[in-house]
Amino acid sequence: MLNVKDRDLIVPGDLLGSDILPDMNCYMEGGNVYSAVEGLVRVDGRKIKVVPSSGGYIPKRDDVVIGVIMDVLTGKWLVDINSPYICAMSGEEVSRDAAKTDLSRYYKVGDILTAKIGSVNEVYSCQLMKPWKIENGLIIDVNPKRVPRVVGKQKSMLNMIREKTGARIIVGQNGKIWIKDGNVDLAVKTIKKIEKYAQTQGLTDQIAEFLDKESRGNPIKPSYHINESED
Amino acid sequence: MSGNGDVVLIKDGKRLDGRDFDELRDIKMEVSVLERAAGSAYVEWGKNKVMVGVYGPRELHPKFLQDPTKAMLRCVYNLAPFSVDDRKKPGPDRRSVEISKVTSEALSSVVMLERFPNTVVDVFIEILQADAGTRCAGLTAASLALADAGIPMKDLIASCSAGKIQGQVVVDLMKEEDNFGECDLPMAIIPKKGEVVLLQMDGKLSRDEFKDAYKLAYDGCMKIYDLQRKTLMDSMKKFVGEGGIENGD
Repeated sequence: MLNVKDRDLIVPGDLLGSDILPDMNCYMEGGNVYSAVEGLVRVDGRKIKVVPSSGGYIPKRDDVVIGVIMDVLTGKWLVDINSPYICAMSGEEVSRDAAKTDLSRYYKVGDILTAKIGSVNEVYSCQLMKPWKIENGLIIDVNPKRVPRVVGKQKSMLNMIREKTGARIIVGQNGKIWIKDGNVDLAVKTIKKIEKYAQTQGLTDQIAEFLDKESRGNPIKPSYHINESED
Repeated sequence: MSGNGDVVLIKDGKRLDGRDFDELRDIKMEVSVLERAAGSAYVEWGKNKVMVGVYGPRELHPKFLQDPTKAMLRCVYNLAPFSVDDRKKPGPDRRSVEISKVTSEALSSVVMLERFPNTVVDVFIEILQADAGTRCAGLTAASLALADAGIPMKDLIASCSAGKIQGQVVVDLMKEEDNFGECDLPMAIIPKKGEVVLLQMDGKLSRDEFKDAYKLAYDGCMKIYDLQRKTLMDSMKKFVGEGGIENGD
C-alpha cells in the first residue's frame, strides 16, 4: 500500500507505504517503509526509492572519478576523491617494478587524474585503476548526488552538451567534472543549470532549447584553451 | 529561576509580548544559507538568531577515534560574545559544553551513523542573538541542516520549551520569563513516533504542572515540525523545476 505518489517531494521520516520493497535511501521499520533523506519519490512497480537532493560521495565499484594526489608512498599513491574515504592507487598501474621506482616521476602531490574505482570493501577502503593524467582544462564541482542527471539516460544529456558546445568533458561520479576545448563557458553554464534544476521533468529538451538559444550567433570556437596556470 | 514576585509577567491574561499561554513566538526558517557547508540552516525564533552549518561526513582525526561500525556526530554549540546583553567571554564554558553534548546525543538518535563508518559529521551551532530557548532553536536548526546536507536520518527532530511563570504554565519562554519565571522545561521529540530525545528542567514544577508543561511543549514541537517540513519542501522547489527554468542565470 502506497502512501505517496510518484514524484512527490518528501522529507526524512515520511511514511512511504507498507508492503512495498525499499530501495535507495529508504528504511523499513515494523513493516512500514520510511524515507531517510529529503528528495523525490520514484515508484517502480513494488519498488520504491528516494532520489536525494544533496549529499556527499561514497565510493562505488566501477565508478569513474576525478581525484587529486595527496601523498606518494612506496609502491602506491593516496588519492583524494572528494569523499570521506581516501583511495589508494597501486604503483603497479604505471610501472612493472613499482616498489623500486620513484613514483613521483609519474604523479606528484597535487597532480590531478581520472581513474576507475577497482574495488571497495565494507568500510569503503578503495583501490583506483587505470589512471589518466589531467594536465589542463577546467574542473568544476557539482553535487555528487546530481551527477546522474548531468550524464542522463544512456549518456543522452552528456553527449548533447558535448555535441552542442564542442567541449571535451569527463564526468567524475564524485562530483568533479573536467571540461576542455570548445565553448567551455557555455558547457559550465549548462552543467550548473542542470545541477540546479536536476529533477525537472523533460529537462533534456529544455536544456537542448537553452543550448540552441545560447550558441546562436556565438558559434563554437574549437580552439578555446585554458592554460594550466589559470586553473 | 529566582521566582522574583515583583516582576509582572502576565497582564490581563496575556504575556509581556501579548502572546497567549500556548502561543509560540514568530519563527522564520531557511536552509542552504552557507555556500561552503554540506548543509546549513538559519532560524529566527522570536529574538533568537541561530546559524547552523553541517560539514561531512568527512575523515575523522585523530585516527584512534575512528569507529569502523559507525560515524561520529560532533556538535559544537557556541554563544557569540555579542549575542547577549553583557558581553559573553568567548570560548566554550560549562554551559555550552553541556548543550553541545545533549544536542549531539539527541541528533545521534535519528541520524543513521552506521552508513558512514570511520567518519565524522560535524555540526556547528552558532547563536548570533540569544533570547531564551537557544538550545531548542539550535537543535531545530541543526536537524534542518542535517536534512539539507542529505545525511540519512530516521526523522527530523523538533524542539520547543515550556515553563512556569507566575504560577501559570506557558509554552516557549522568552528572556524575561526565563529570568523571572519559576521553571523552564526544554524538550525535543522525534515527531513521527512521539519519542522524547531531550528533556531538561530548570526550576520546580508539581506533578500536575509537569504534565501540563509536557503537553504544551509537545504541541509546540509539533508546530515546529510543521514549519520544518514546509521549509525543506520549499527549498526543493527548484530541484524539481517547479515554476519552470529561468534562463536569466
